[in-house]
Amino acid sequence: MIRIAAVGDIHMGPESKGRLRPSFETLPDSADVLLLAGDLTRHGTPEEARVVAREIEGLAVPVVAVLGNHDHHADCPDEVAAVLRDAGARVLEGQATVVGNGGARIGVAGTKGFGGGFVGRCAGEFGEPIMKEFVRYSRRRADTLRDSLVELREQDCDVRIALTHFSPVPDTLAGEPPEIYPFLGSYLLAEAIDTAGADLAVHGHAHLGTEHGMTSGGVKVRNVAQPVIGRAFHVYHLARPERAATGASGVRAG
Amino acid sequence: MSAYAARPAPGAGGAQNLDYRVAHLADHLAAGDLGELGVRIEIRGEAVLLTGTVPSAQCRDDVLRMARDELPETPVHCDIVVADASAPDHAEEVE
Repeated sequence: MIRIAAVGDIHMGPESKGRLRPSFETLPDSADVLLLAGDLTRHGTPEEARVVAREIEGLAVPVVAVLGNHDHHADCPDEVAAVLRDAGARVLEGQATVVGNGGARIGVAGTKGFGGGFVGRCAGEFGEPIMKEFVRYSRRRADTLRDSLVELREQDCDVRIALTHFSPVPDTLAGEPPEIYPFLGSYLLAEAIDTAGADLAVHGHAHLGTEHGMTSGGVKVRNVAQPVIGRAFHVYHLARPERAATGASGVRAG
Repeated sequence: MSAYAARPAPGAGGAQNLDYRVAHLADHLAAGDLGELGVRIEIRGEAVLLTGTVPSAQCRDDVLRMARDELPETPVHCDIVVADASAPDHAEEVE
């Protein structure tokens, strides 16, 4: 069994210093890896990133993170990522990594992702330059997620996880106003996940959403935004090793 | 002066309507020092209700203070909760 701990949207600042550390220190008892699904800070400043860094530094499980929109607000996401990397986290944007703990090889492909909406109710690459760039930016994020999941196929992983901040499916947004779904996620992420295959998809961003969802290709999706899960993290147990990943080419299989 | 010109135009003074002020409060919560996008502000009758989950008690207090400052003549009810930072007591078996 492979044990995946995950949380997003912890929105830390100086006033929340040390708040999650006691729970994170229990992680070796319950999980093989901790995934952080973005919005780790409130404004994306290096000072706030240092608060997050102290929560995760020296943990006995590997930490893999993506950034969220809040982590971009101060226009220095590279500095935020560098602070987290110095604390030992692997911060992904269009990349993949393999972590091992207890012998299992856990592949994680990560991107922040972006919005655009879901099939039949989404933005198109049309019209004003800023509208086209909006959709292209989202498409680029999804393309890198697909490529990094494909890359993990060659790395003898027991499981492959897609880690994003924005949601790949509308299921996990239930509870949010439908009018803002296009700002909460994009079907392009789900299409990337279903094309490359994955054993689990984890995201944050939608504080008022729900935890459980699934792509049309059959990949389970979990919204781990802290307001949704109501704990310091949630743990998901995955069977080991069903090497034929759910969802691979699933969109076309029918 | 014609009778038409004497009438106030539709919407005149409407910028002070509660719905616009609530929209501006939401903008200020997000773009200001708080960076808070996780609070929902709903008009309930003559009052406003704040709901959502925030990372700290200080954040909850800051949001409530800002809402009362920006809507001084409107009762503001607060149902904001602080995120639970405890470790989970069970795991999910993902089939």
